Amino acid sequence: MTAGAANLLELEDVRCGYGPTAVLHGVSLHVPEGGIVSLLGANGAGKTTTLRAITGAIHWMGDIRFAGHSLRRMATEDIVRSGIAHVPEGRGILTELTVDENLRLGAHKRKDREAVRKDYERVFEYFPVLRERRRLSASTLSGGEQQMLAVARALLMKPRLMLLDEPSLGLAPMVVRSIFEIIRTINQTDHVAVLLVEQNARLALDLSSDAYVLEVGRVAVSGKSAELQGQESVRRSYLGY
Amino acid sequence: MQELIQQVVSGLANGGIFASLALALVLIYNAMGLLNFAQGEMAMFATFIAFTFINHGVSYWFALPLTVAIAFAGGVLIQRVVIRPVERAPVLTLVIVTLGLATLINGAAGFFFGYVPRVFPSPFSVSTVNLLGAYVSYQDMGVIVVSGVVLVLIYLLLQRTTIGLTMRAAAHHREASRLLGVRVSWMLALGWGLASAVGTVSGIMVAPVLVLEPNLMQTIIIYAFAAAVLGGIESPLGAVVGGLIVGVTVNLAGAYIPFVGGDLQLAVALAIIVGVLVVKPNGLFGRPSVRNV
Repeated sequence: MTAGAANLLELEDVRCGYGPTAVLHGVSLHVPEGGIVSLLGANGAGKTTTLRAITGAIHWMGDIRFAGHSLRRMATEDIVRSGIAHVPEGRGILTELTVDENLRLGAHKRKDREAVRKDYERVFEYFPVLRERRRLSASTLSGGEQQMLAVARALLMKPRLMLLDEPSLGLAPMVVRSIFEIIRTINQTDHVAVLLVEQNARLALDLSSDAYVLEVGRVAVSGKSAELQGQESVRRSYLGY
Repeated sequence: MQELIQQVVSGLANGGIFASLALALVLIYNAMGLLNFAQGEMAMFATFIAFTFINHGVSYWFALPLTVAIAFAGGVLIQRVVIRPVERAPVLTLVIVTLGLATLINGAAGFFFGYVPRVFPSPFSVSTVNLLGAYVSYQDMGVIVVSGVVLVLIYLLLQRTTIGLTMRAAAHHREASRLLGVRVSWMLALGWGLASAVGTVSGIMVAPVLVLEPNLMQTIIIYAFAAAVLGGIESPLGAVVGGLIVGVTVNLAGAYIPFVGGDLQLAVALAIIVGVLVVKPNGLFGRPSVRNV
């Protein structure tokens, strides 16, 4: 993995927890500009907590840098506005609002109206079902459609980095495949970097170039995704397939 | 028939006043999950400010928007200074804080403006006009029009503007809204400002009908509670519809149910509150609350 300026996101010895319970015991990882990185591991390993630390939902020690600047003491709103779109656990859909209002919230800070309009068109091209359901309450969407809405809304934020927390959770395999295809497309056309948290290790390794495996709050293994996939021992002990 | 129409129109005028205050309650309920018991007192204090302007020769139609703007700023200030420090406290703490705020504002109004009841001027003539055979006062129609305009403006702000969209988002899902770059804390303060502004309109509308004194809003707030509960406490539209229904119902009950008269109208409002909570706790426009355990 290349070091220095090419890294969009850098975590350095990040430690944090909830109250007296430590969850991360010094996690270091890098996401290169325009790259896709998987963050794998069992339940409770600290994957979601890592993402929550990045967008400032939880107090941490160590350092987190985005595009060269430390995110220390920054409010979640400011971190997000600096170019990180976080699709949280449970997708963060605002179910009291319509599908369209959810999408508008994604783009609400953007001033480049013409580009926003084009991004809307692209979003509806990727997920035609969202166009059909525009006027409906977001609560009427199925789980897969809500995940599509969450990814579409993240795209409309025009981020440099997307944090995706288990986009495959609870979805049918076919839906998962199409959503992952579109994540790949977004990464390639917009050069958006992606940090992908997944339980489905096989799927995540296929998509990503690099991967980290967390085990009880520490990075146990890291490397090129293709290499990790090839190592039988790693697969058996950490990835469970 | 003629009397019925008159009673309904007059009920709608009262309803517009209740609706404005009920909407204020709903806006704050959405922002912090709690009824603001100081809402009426805030409106009363602002009405005194309007009275002071008018007494110093400011025209009514300039004093009204000026006071509403001051009330908006006051609402934001109260949220920042009084509510924000206890935002994460248990609900009961917040209840006590708003009750304390109500007492404080009531006392401050007595201190600054005195307890002598004053006649608040109305820009509308008390004379009547013949409408479909019924005699309707300009006063009632004026109140209906002003309340209507204010409620439509609030609706447009919440439903048709980006700032309204982010306010609604912040009220419903704080964490998810933060992740979309919404400044949630400021949106909640704006909610307080907006509530204070719309509540003030109800104070200024009701003052000419009653007399202006520190206890001006103490019965009105009960009607507003009834309206908000009937509409389904979380729904702005419900607050408006609830306000109109309560206004008309109370007026008709006073006119046609012999023992109610003028004395038991407040009891009708309380009966509505109890009735709704027993029969349909989520109100007309509320959604059933589902909690995962």
